[in-house]
Amino acid sequence: MIELILMPLAAFVIGLAMVLMMRRIGARLQRRVGPPLLQPLWDIIKLHGKETQTSHGLIHEFGIVMAIGGFVAAVTLMPLPGMNGLAEQGGLIALVYMMMIPSLGLALGVGQCANPNGSIGISRALTAMLAYDIPMVIVIFGVAFFYGSTSLVQIIDAQQAGGFATWGIAEMPLLALAGLFAMQAMLGKQPFEIYVAPAEIATGPMVEMGGKFLGGLFIMQCFQLYAAGALYTLLFLGGGENWLTFLIKVFAVVAIPMSIAFLFPRYRTEDVVRLVWKWPAMIGLLGIAFLMY
Amino acid sequence: MTELIKTPRAGETLPVTAGKRTNPLANVFDELVRFAQSRSLFMLHYCTGCGAIELPPAMTSRFDMERLGIQPMVSPRQADILLVTGYVSVKTLKRVILTYEQMGSPKYVIGICSCTVNGGMYWQSYATAKKLNDYMPVDIYIAGCMPRPEAVIAGLRELMENIRQGKADSWKDYYRHYDHYLGHQQRLFGETWQTPTDVISEARHYGLFGPDTLGTHTALLEQHQKPLEALEMKVDIPELTARR
Repeated sequence: MIELILMPLAAFVIGLAMVLMMRRIGARLQRRVGPPLLQPLWDIIKLHGKETQTSHGLIHEFGIVMAIGGFVAAVTLMPLPGMNGLAEQGGLIALVYMMMIPSLGLALGVGQCANPNGSIGISRALTAMLAYDIPMVIVIFGVAFFYGSTSLVQIIDAQQAGGFATWGIAEMPLLALAGLFAMQAMLGKQPFEIYVAPAEIATGPMVEMGGKFLGGLFIMQCFQLYAAGALYTLLFLGGGENWLTFLIKVFAVVAIPMSIAFLFPRYRTEDVVRLVWKWPAMIGLLGIAFLMY
Repeated sequence: MTELIKTPRAGETLPVTAGKRTNPLANVFDELVRFAQSRSLFMLHYCTGCGAIELPPAMTSRFDMERLGIQPMVSPRQADILLVTGYVSVKTLKRVILTYEQMGSPKYVIGICSCTVNGGMYWQSYATAKKLNDYMPVDIYIAGCMPRPEAVIAGLRELMENIRQGKADSWKDYYRHYDHYLGHQQRLFGETWQTPTDVISEARHYGLFGPDTLGTHTALLEQHQKPLEALEMKVDIPELTARR
C-alpha cells in the first residue's frame, strides 16, 4: 500500500529533475547557462498559485486529472529497486494501455476548450500517437516474445541474471534501437514536435490552459519523462539493481532524445507518420525476425 | 465624460478590502508563492514595436533570461508578463487590451522604450497611443530608444523584487479603476468599444470591486454591450452543399 504512494512520489521528484536536465541540455546546446536548480518546482508552485483559474467546464478539469492519473497508474506498474508496486498483478499490456490514457484525457479536456488551435494540436497529437504506437507495440511484443512473459518482474529477473550480456540491449539491439526511435516520438520531442508547434498553433493542446491546468500539464510532463525513461530501462537495460544504477540508467536514457531534439527542426504530421511507420517499425520487425529464426 | 487626466497614483488609499482568496490556507503559503511567482515569469510573445529586437539578445546566449526563470510563452492564458515593446498604434492597442484582459491574474505589464512612456518620437502622431498607463496599469517602464538588453534585464529584476515583496499588484488597479481605463479606451476607440471579457464581473469575483469600478463610461458600455454567444456551427462550402 505504502509503495503505491511512494512510487508516484518518486516518479514526480525524478521527473522534476529530468525536466531540469532537459532544459539545461537545451541551454548548453545553445551556449546558455540555463535555469536554476529548483526552476521546475517554482513554475509548478506559481501556476497553482495563480488567482485566475480559467476553466472551460467540468470535462476540461477532468481531462487534466485523467492525463496525470494515467501516468500515475502507469508508474505503479513499473518496478523500482526494492518496490514492485502493481507490477506482478499488471503486466506489459496493462502498462501500454495506461500509457495511452494521458493523450486521450488531454484530448477530452482540450476538446472542451473549443479553441481551434487546441483542436488542431490535439488532432496532431493523436495522429502522432497512432504513428509511434505501432513501433512501440512491435518492440514490446518482441521483448515479451523473447522472454516468454509479459510480467516486468520476470523480464527484469531474466535480464539481471547474467550481467550486461543478458540485458535486453545486448540480446536484441535492433529492438532497442527501434524503441529509442519510438521514444523520441512518444516524448513529442523534435523532430516529432508537431503537436506543440509554438510558432504556428500556439502550443496546440496547451493554448487554453492557464494556472492550475498548465501546472497540471507540467506535472504530467515530469511523469511522462520518467515513465518513458523507466520503461526503456526496464525493457532493455536490466531495470535497477539498486537506486544508484537505476537513476543513472533512467537519466542517461532520457538524455539521449533530449540531446538529439535540440538539433532538429520539425516534421509535418504526415511525414512523422510516414517516417515512424517506416523506420522504427521496420527495424523492430527485423529485430523480431532475428529473434524468431 | 469624466476627467480623464487623473491617473491612480501609487500608494493612494483605496476603500477596497483585500482580495478574496479561494483557498483558506493560501495565506500560510503566501511567502512561498510570492517567491515562486517572482522566480518564474512567463512572458507573452506579443511584441508591438521596434524594442522587440532587444529581446532576442536578452533571451539567447549573451544574456540568457532563463537564468532568472523567465521564459517565453505564446498564449495569453499561460503568460504572466505582457511586454509592450515600443509604440502602440490605435489598432495595435485594441489587440494589446484584448490580450491583457485574457491573461490570468496576477499579471504584470512592462512598458519598454520611450514610446510607451510618452509617445516618444511619435508624440505628434494621430495614430499612436501616447501613454500606455492610460489604457492599462503598467508595473515597470524601461525607458530608452531602445533600451539595451542589460536595461531590459535590470527592469525585469526590479519587477521580480517588487513581486517578491508583494508590491507589484497594479493589475488590481484595472479592476478597481475600470471606469477610468475604459474612459481612455472609449476616447480612442469610440463609444461602442467592447471587449469579450466581462471585467466588472471579474472585479466582483476577485473582491476588487470598488467605487471607481463603475461610472459614466461603464454605463455607456452597458447600453450597447452584448453578452457573448456561442458561434453558430455551420459549414458554408458551396462545393459541399451543391454535392448534397
